[in-house]
Amino acid sequence: MKDLSELDFPETVRYTEDHEWAAVDGEVVRIGVSDYAQDQLGDIVYVEMPEIGDIFEKGDEFGTLESVKAVSEIYMPVGGEVVAVNEVLVDTPELINQDPYGAWIVEIRATDVGEYDELMSAEDYIEMLRG
Amino acid sequence: MAIRLCRLGLVDYQAVHQLQLRLVAARLAGAEDDVILVTEHPPVFTLGRRGRRDHLLVSESFLAAHGIELIHIERGGDITYHGPGQLVIYPVLDLRRLRRSITEHVGALEELMLRLAADCGVTAVRDGRGRGIWCGGAKLGSVGIAVRHGVACHGLALNVAPDLLPFTWINPCGLSGVRMTSLARESGREVTVHWVTRHLLQILQDLLGRPVAAIDRLELPWPEVA
Repeated sequence: MKDLSELDFPETVRYTEDHEWAAVDGEVVRIGVSDYAQDQLGDIVYVEMPEIGDIFEKGDEFGTLESVKAVSEIYMPVGGEVVAVNEVLVDTPELINQDPYGAWIVEIRATDVGEYDELMSAEDYIEMLRG
Repeated sequence: MAIRLCRLGLVDYQAVHQLQLRLVAARLAGAEDDVILVTEHPPVFTLGRRGRRDHLLVSESFLAAHGIELIHIERGGDITYHGPGQLVIYPVLDLRRLRRSITEHVGALEELMLRLAADCGVTAVRDGRGRGIWCGGAKLGSVGIAVRHGVACHGLALNVAPDLLPFTWINPCGLSGVRMTSLARESGREVTVHWVTRHLLQILQDLLGRPVAAIDRLELPWPEVA
């Protein structure tokens, strides 16, 4: 487990208390897990993703990440309909460990983009992690 | 903000599973205490979230004839067997409050098993073949957890003196050709779950760095029995 200072928290995305990140482009929100999350999980061996067309509300579980002998749920930062899943992760789940902000998991069309603005900035998220 | 330990004795897998889910829900709803369940189950096979049915090497009718159920659950890991004589520990812990990462928690579960084995004079080791603890190339104990909003459940299964035959009906943990062993076999002594866990409270306190207090099973939020 790394020290917080060794982890990367870009200011171009927003964060949740459950360690997901979200990046907005129009009404499409791209979602992944933070550098902190991947470090906590250890080597990720499997990503369970939703299907295109699935509809979720903010906070709903939308998949799981499996690291060695541990299954962790992941939650929607904002509500909406899944418009894309990152199929690359099916065969190379370790990309999340290597590049957590490049290895997005799903893209959704947000029901209310306003929910994105309520998420934490990098500064607030780091503050929360320091706790 | 306390850690409580409860010895349940021999209890049906599904009942303890429901109890764990209730404890996780209570924790997420603001309950203060972490709870560690210590139990044994009547014979049952469980299949992890991504477990493969083909790692069960016998037919479901064969299992039915032996009165053994196959249950799908949300923990990590593949197929495993639980039965009397196997120590099962489910720590329902808020990892965030303990400031433990998931990998550290899995490592601590292995460490707990290594110490319990050492307490019986059995030297076990970690092994590159996935997780768990091993003795002379055979698997002695297994781990598998699930995490919901930072609260971990499921845990470890340490073979104290179970019937090892049912393990030959599966590829334990999804590994083929794995031989299972027990503390009874390795120590050549008649060991019981009760005896193996005689210093459990102290060992847990050492590993968690916090006081652990025993509670009665009646203090737990058991599901209603239909």
